Amino acid sequence: MSISYVPVGKSGKWDGAMDWLQMLSGFSLILFVWCHAILESSVVISPDVMDAIGHFLESTGMVQVGGPLIFLVFLSHFVLGARKIPFRFDGQKTIWQHAKMLHHLDTWMWIVQIVSAMIILIMASIHMWVALSDLPITAAKSAARIQGGYWAVFFLILIPLVHLHVGIGFYRIGVKWGFVKDCNRAKFKKVVDVIVTAFVVLGLITLARYYFMSVN
Amino acid sequence: MQTIYTDLLVVGAGLAGERAAVEAADAGFSAICLSLVPARRSHSSAAQGGMQAALGNSVMGEGDSPDVHFADTVKGSDWGCDQEVARMFADSAPIEMRRLAHWGVPWNRVVPGKSIYYKGGKQYDKVEKEEKEGLIMARSFGGTAKWRTCYTSDGTGHAVMCTMDNRCAEVGVEVHDKTEAIAMIQDGDVCYGVVARCLRTGELITYLSKATMIASGGFGRIYPNTTNAVICDGGAHTLCIETGVVPMGNMEAVQFHPTGIVPTDILVTEGCRGDGGTLLDVNEKRFMNDYEPDKAELASRDVVSRWMTHHMREGHGVKSPYGEHLWLDIRHLGAEHITGKLREVYEICTSFLGINPIHQLIPVRPTHHYSMGGVRTNRDGAAYGLKGLFSAGESACWDMHGFNRLGGNSLAETVVAGGIVGKKIAEYLEGCETTFKTSLISDVVKKQQARIDALVNGTNGSENVYKVRAAMQVALNKGANIFRTQAGLEECVATLQETLIRARNVGLRSNGKGVNPELAAALKLEGQVKMGLMVAYGALQRTESRGSHNREDFPARNDRDWLNRTLAYWKTPSDSLPTLEYEPATEVVEIPPGDRGYGKSEIISADDNKE
Amino acid sequence: MSRLLKFNIFRYNPADEVSEPHMEEFVLEETDSMTLFIALNRIREEQDPSLQFDFCCRAGICGSCGMVINGRPGLACHTKTKDLSGEITLLPLPVYKLVGDLSVDTGSWFREMYTKTESWIHTTKTFDPTAIEERMDNKQAVDIYELERCVECGCCVAACGTARMREDFIGAAALNRVARFLIDPRDQRTENDYYEIIGNDMGIFGCMGLLACEDVCPKHLPLQNQLGFLRRKMGITSLKKIFKK
Ligand SMILES: Cc1cc2nc3c(=O)[nH]c(=O)nc-3n(C[C@H](O)[C@H](O)[C@H](O)COP(=O)(O)OP(=O)(O)OC[C@H]3O[C@@H](n4cnc5c(N)ncnc54)[C@H](O)[C@@H]3O)c2cc1C
Ligand code: HEM
Ligand code: HEM
Ligand code: SF4
Ligand code: F3S
Ligand code: FES
Repeated sequence: MSISYVPVGKSGKWDGAMDWLQMLSGFSLILFVWCHAILESSVVISPDVMDAIGHFLESTGMVQVGGPLIFLVFLSHFVLGARKIPFRFDGQKTIWQHAKMLHHLDTWMWIVQIVSAMIILIMASIHMWVALSDLPITAAKSAARIQGGYWAVFFLILIPLVHLHVGIGFYRIGVKWGFVKDCNRAKFKKVVDVIVTAFVVLGLITLARYYFMSVN
Repeated sequence: MQTIYTDLLVVGAGLAGERAAVEAADAGFSAICLSLVPARRSHSSAAQGGMQAALGNSVMGEGDSPDVHFADTVKGSDWGCDQEVARMFADSAPIEMRRLAHWGVPWNRVVPGKSIYYKGGKQYDKVEKEEKEGLIMARSFGGTAKWRTCYTSDGTGHAVMCTMDNRCAEVGVEVHDKTEAIAMIQDGDVCYGVVARCLRTGELITYLSKATMIASGGFGRIYPNTTNAVICDGGAHTLCIETGVVPMGNMEAVQFHPTGIVPTDILVTEGCRGDGGTLLDVNEKRFMNDYEPDKAELASRDVVSRWMTHHMREGHGVKSPYGEHLWLDIRHLGAEHITGKLREVYEICTSFLGINPIHQLIPVRPTHHYSMGGVRTNRDGAAYGLKGLFSAGESACWDMHGFNRLGGNSLAETVVAGGIVGKKIAEYLEGCETTFKTSLISDVVKKQQARIDALVNGTNGSENVYKVRAAMQVALNKGANIFRTQAGLEECVATLQETLIRARNVGLRSNGKGVNPELAAALKLEGQVKMGLMVAYGALQRTESRGSHNREDFPARNDRDWLNRTLAYWKTPSDSLPTLEYEPATEVVEIPPGDRGYGKSEIISADDNKE
Repeated sequence: MSRLLKFNIFRYNPADEVSEPHMEEFVLEETDSMTLFIALNRIREEQDPSLQFDFCCRAGICGSCGMVINGRPGLACHTKTKDLSGEITLLPLPVYKLVGDLSVDTGSWFREMYTKTESWIHTTKTFDPTAIEERMDNKQAVDIYELERCVECGCCVAACGTARMREDFIGAAALNRVARFLIDPRDQRTENDYYEIIGNDMGIFGCMGLLACEDVCPKHLPLQNQLGFLRRKMGITSLKKIFKK
């Protein structure tokens, strides 16, 4: 079934803490991804703006320190989230059959979250490695990578997956912790839909801008 | 085969059964409740309206006391009750309600200040007192002088049942659900427990006990249209009838509720009328105020049901594919009230009828609702005829309801009687030493296995269990309904006698393996038909009208000849009719028979000379 | 005129050696105001007397008749056939032990749940039969009743992906039960006591917010709100426990 790092029968003092950490790690990743997407999109206005931002972040050391930090949060979020993921086949079969039987959107959303998580784990790690090991960040370098072709496809997959995972995660934090009540759940869901769509569109525009940017 | 020993075995995990079991457990005895369904699904949980107890906290209940409650109960019973029992009940009810509060029931509480209420469709004001704030509130119910019905929204039975079952879990009362008692273990005049069939596996289990209690609720399912749950089939009564020595009291006293919805006969609570709902006829005109100017819709159930039937016979009913009905109107109570205090009613209407009671009328008709009759016990709850056998709740004829029970009195009875009888059982257990004879037990089990084998193999014939059951239900509905006549009852008895023969010739169509539902139905069918005969034959013999027993050919209440209780025995299994005996309705007379103050009041007094 | 309804019903009788789990088809003519209660009883009485299912109140108030109706756990007795398509698939509730066909053993599950959650009022006070009752605010009573309305049908647990993947997850009905006592002023248990019961991954922290419980509960209990309330409450308790040491 699932992996639980807490031995059964032991007082769950740390279960609460881990739930907090899962939420907080998730939440900081949400903030990071949304900021990241917005900053990245500055290239749409002009590559110079993006370079300026990149330069600013590097000169203040935010990338050098923040980058690995984010990677750490990313990893711990994975470890915490993994407690809930069915790694064994019978668990996967159960949840799959269950979702098929129930045709219930929130249950499907969880499956999307899990599947996207596994893919993001691999893709985002690669991406971070590449980005961080080839500083400084400049629009030109990014554009060159993307126009290479493979990276364009890479991001075409990663953009929707990341925003789906993050959007669903945002929604889930809202309902799980009771910040969103039953009476405004539907409204909240709509807001999240809009946010996700907006970010995916923004991401694609950014990607397009990289792709069609002239690199000299 | 499994054998389970316990001090107290309760057949039934409804309120009465669990309440008694808790009492025995508190006294240090082991107690097991058997139930067809998980305890909380017992039919007690379906009671919506509330429980009567003279707490007098509401301003509308001022001046109430156990005396007034007692008088209402005796009048309601049409002087058919045992007044000593009714007295015990009225005195203990307030304490039981408080005990339930202590155990966790979220009773609605008094909110001081002005509020509105409806009566007869008109709006009135009341001002609840500051000093009563937070005490147990009450609402109005049919046949009561004061607002006396304690409630939790409209899920009183459910909430009390949850609390009682919690209490059972706390004090270690075991509930063996999905377990059906099918035969009593009896040695001469002592009861030693029951043989039960496990409804998880189909296996037989013996339960051996020092004291056994029947708390199996009503048996409305011998009628085709009833508000009762499908498990209220009298299965456990049939155990007692088979003993030949335990009598059933007042089986002809059957209550019909005015407001079963059409077509499913689900009950909408008396609270609808208590809160101001009205009954309308085909012209959407009120009529109860013409028949009963004073109490109108809030006269006792037998009276309202009778006038409704009368009114429909006069041609004022609403025709529908399911027969005639009348309308219940609660529209004027407003959306907030209907979706709040009457939420279950709202849900029943929307989910079973597809109508919205805030804007639409509810189709209703009188429907079988309650069995006053049952296992006859003395005031300690000990059954007549068998030592170590007790009964309480709807299954018993303890007899505080006589020929008509008041709304809210039976749910209150379950906990009051459960408490009293539970105490008496604990006293009985105190001085009880028992040895169980193994030969006797294996005989009983063998006999039951043989019965099952005969049904499975079709040894006795191939009658279809469902068809025979339907024949019984139809006969009772036709002959032993709200209005009864000599001719109708004679025909009913004759039909039931034929049905009895058919019931003895039932054979299964399925293989009977495991938890076979056809087998479960077949095992109790013969006993059910016998109960039907007790109802119909008792009604035929009782040549008067009293409470819910209403003979058109004998419209007067006859205190001269019939101020008594019917005791119906099935002396030998092969009999084709029950043996009827009679005993005085009550030994202690606090309130001599008189006028009820509602209903028609033709009375042949005990002082009248014999014709 | 009226529709012919096609029922695909799960059949299996564990007590019968030759029985294998399979789906069986029954055809029935629809009548006015037909519910699954009426339909299943007709099938049993007219077509297959061995068909097992559970009904009790047939009025949507006892919780006996939970089953999976066209994929969704729900109460069969208050499901009208006219709200369904002409083809109706019925399965027993998952999670609970199968008794046979559509009948499952919810009773044992819930009894175990009462023991786990100690589902009763914990108080050191004793009852005094001569005293008047303790006062309680009506609003508080109404709030408790709101949570007490659970009929233990088991639908919420059967619909919960977490409960299906993890046998040890206690489920929304149990968590709701704890909330019921938590808000009851008569219960003297502290937050730490409740934390012992549900403050772990088998309890409130195991819930992944799938909200199928909220969406299928036939009595419309405010499960989402209660789960949120408990997570916050227990989350804070866990921090207190960690930092107070
Ligand atoms: C729809 C409806 C609404 C009502 N509303 C009210 C109201 O508002 N106020 C009021 O005062 N009264 C009301 N009543 C009446 C009241 O609910 C019942 O009389 C009362 O609850 C009966 O309780 P009980 O404990 O005797 O039996 P039940 O609660 O019916 O319990 C019977 C128990 O016996 C078990 N059982 C039965 N046969 C067997 C067997 N063979 N083997 C093993 N176990 C068996 C069952 O499983 C069950 O656990 C209402 C009744 C109905 C039908
Ligand atoms: C390494 C890859 C990742 C894995 C394996 C992973 C896994 C998971 C899992 C299993 C959950 C569900 C937890 C639950 O329902 O209780 C989850 C939730 C969440 N994830 Fe991820 N995730 C990954 C990456 C990310 C990233 C990159 C972000 C954001 C940038 C993110 C944001 C979130 C958020 C906000 C939640 C909701 C948190 C909560 O419910 O408490 N995840 N993740
Ligand atoms: C801290 C480390 C990170 C740095 C320095 C970084 C940097 C960059 C850079 C420079 C680009 C432009 C494309 C390229 O050069 O390849 C980019 C794009 C992108 N990054 Fe990151 N990134 C980091 C972490 C992440 C993480 C954790 C995620 C997701 C979980 C992510 C998701 C994306 C996506 C989806 C794009 C495409 C953007 C678009 O087209 O809008 N990045 N990132
Ligand atoms: S919470 Fe709702 S779905 Fe769950 S058992 Fe209770 S009533 Fe059924
Ligand atoms: S469906 Fe299950 S995961 Fe939580 S929100 Fe409900 S209990
Ligand atoms: S039978 Fe009681 S809820 Fe369906």
